[in-house]
Amino acid sequence: MNRAAKLLSAALLCVGWAAAQQRDVREATVGMRAYVDQVVLAGTALAPVASTSKSPVMVRVVKAWPHGEHLRYDLEWVGFEAGTYDLTDYLAREDGSTTDDLPALNVEVVSVLPENMFEPSALAANPGESLGGYSQLQVSVVALWAIGLFAILFLGRPRKPAAVVAAAEPTLADRLRPLVERVGRGDAEEREKAELERLLVAFWRARLDLGDMKVADAVMAIRADDRAGALLRHVEEWLHAPNPPDGVDVGELLAPYRSVTADQLQPEAR
Amino acid sequence: MTSPEAPVARFTETREFLDQIRSRVGTVVVGQDVVVERVLIALLTSGHLLLQGVPGLAKTLLVAAISKTVDLSFARIQFTIDLLPSDIVGSEILDQKSNDFRVHQGPIFTNLLLADEINRAAPKVQSALLEAMQERSVTIGGQGFVLPAPFLVIATQNPVEQAGTFELPEAQLDRFMLLHRLEYLKPEEEKEVLRRNTKLGVRRDGKGAVARTEFDVLDGQDKGSAEQLVRAMEDVQEVHVSEAFLEHVIEIVNRTRNHPLLELGCSPRAGISLVKASRARALIHGRDYVVPEDMFALAEDVILHRIRLSYEAVADGFTSQQVLQEILGEVAK
Repeated sequence: MNRAAKLLSAALLCVGWAAAQQRDVREATVGMRAYVDQVVLAGTALAPVASTSKSPVMVRVVKAWPHGEHLRYDLEWVGFEAGTYDLTDYLAREDGSTTDDLPALNVEVVSVLPENMFEPSALAANPGESLGGYSQLQVSVVALWAIGLFAILFLGRPRKPAAVVAAAEPTLADRLRPLVERVGRGDAEEREKAELERLLVAFWRARLDLGDMKVADAVMAIRADDRAGALLRHVEEWLHAPNPPDGVDVGELLAPYRSVTADQLQPEAR
Repeated sequence: MTSPEAPVARFTETREFLDQIRSRVGTVVVGQDVVVERVLIALLTSGHLLLQGVPGLAKTLLVAAISKTVDLSFARIQFTIDLLPSDIVGSEILDQKSNDFRVHQGPIFTNLLLADEINRAAPKVQSALLEAMQERSVTIGGQGFVLPAPFLVIATQNPVEQAGTFELPEAQLDRFMLLHRLEYLKPEEEKEVLRRNTKLGVRRDGKGAVARTEFDVLDGQDKGSAEQLVRAMEDVQEVHVSEAFLEHVIEIVNRTRNHPLLELGCSPRAGISLVKASRARALIHGRDYVVPEDMFALAEDVILHRIRLSYEAVADGFTSQQVLQEILGEVAK
């Protein structure tokens, strides 16, 4: 490719780019800006007519260039009312001469709103912020707090166990008697025998008034007691010894506990 | 009926052996009968013992006295913050003659080990000791070594002066069969301590002399043999445990697990320890069967260090001792 061809190609590319940049928008919606570029208009220099609040279209000359004996313009326009308008109606000669010789430069302004809708939508009623009333608010909050406190203190808590329920629990004597019977009959399980032994310790703890003592010390005190110790040791031997003595009469062994009454659980006078 | 408390004939020799130990220890340690009993229980069951008490309650003297009454090897380690596991277990050292590594066994290779103030050592050292306590073997330089039998650790710790100490966690405390809390002596016992101390005199040493201490009192006296100890350990295994006794133990253990004030109840190891210790106590008291008294007497030492109060219980000012006494009281109520 020779040099001339290269220059021609470059020139064509530049023209193509310039043409691509050129805008010629003849239709726009209300309020939107649009451009008509590179319009050659004969005669002396043109300037926009001063627009008013009633003007349906407003035109602005973005730039003007000499074009032979005429001038070439880039125009920007905005339409405010739907309809077809001639942009030259909104241009005037700077020297005051007439513009009747200019060709029509029609543009279309389109409205996106329904036809004949000129009023804006009605505003929603705003109740506004309430002012004042802080004293009442304070009183309400204090009242709610007091109700909540009352609920926490009295409604959410488990009720104190009624004395009737406590009285309904089986006493030591009540628990001891059936176990003594079962063990005496010989049909008690090991678990029941162990429970019986613990109840016997409890019986003597109550009887000898050792409730305030540590259990270990209380058990030693019971074993050291002449009567309680002897009785308890024989039960221990029967229950725990590898070879319990022959002929142990369990009935006789447990006889002292067979008919224990609440009075017998009271500490003995010592 | 015959009296059930008569000493069992087949344990006569063992009873004599144990009485000798108690009487010999009693010549230097005054008024700590319960502690001596607990040490004997630990010795007879191969369980480990932790003694807790303020300084000056003869914890170290007691263990030293026990070691001098039975023919057992004895070692003492004073735990400090800079102690290393190798200081206890041993290490490999380079023998410059043979240019080879040689195993140097630490003080843990003994029958009776006194770990003095165990809570002053770092957790790594505590773990090394407690691992050996559990497995009764140690590893040095990739080589396993079995510790001598019997092997018993008696550790001490001080409940005051907690700055710079590392409290043993529950899992490690569980390795100790018993944790006994020593109390101050009664006034008459303390008077006896002072009276004996005034009679200690001095010990000549070459041209000089040093004041004798309680530690010197048992030197040169007769010792019980290791064979007697082994026989006593075998006798403990002969002590009968009834089904009813096991029911008592299960009742207590379960109550610790379900008590609302306790976050952590007894482990199964606690129940095992309670039965083992009760058997030894029964033997010491001349019985060939355990009774509830053994269990109640040992419950505090076996259980108290194995339970943990809930946050709410601590906030309400409860102590583990109160809760345990409540549980024991409920069992016998």
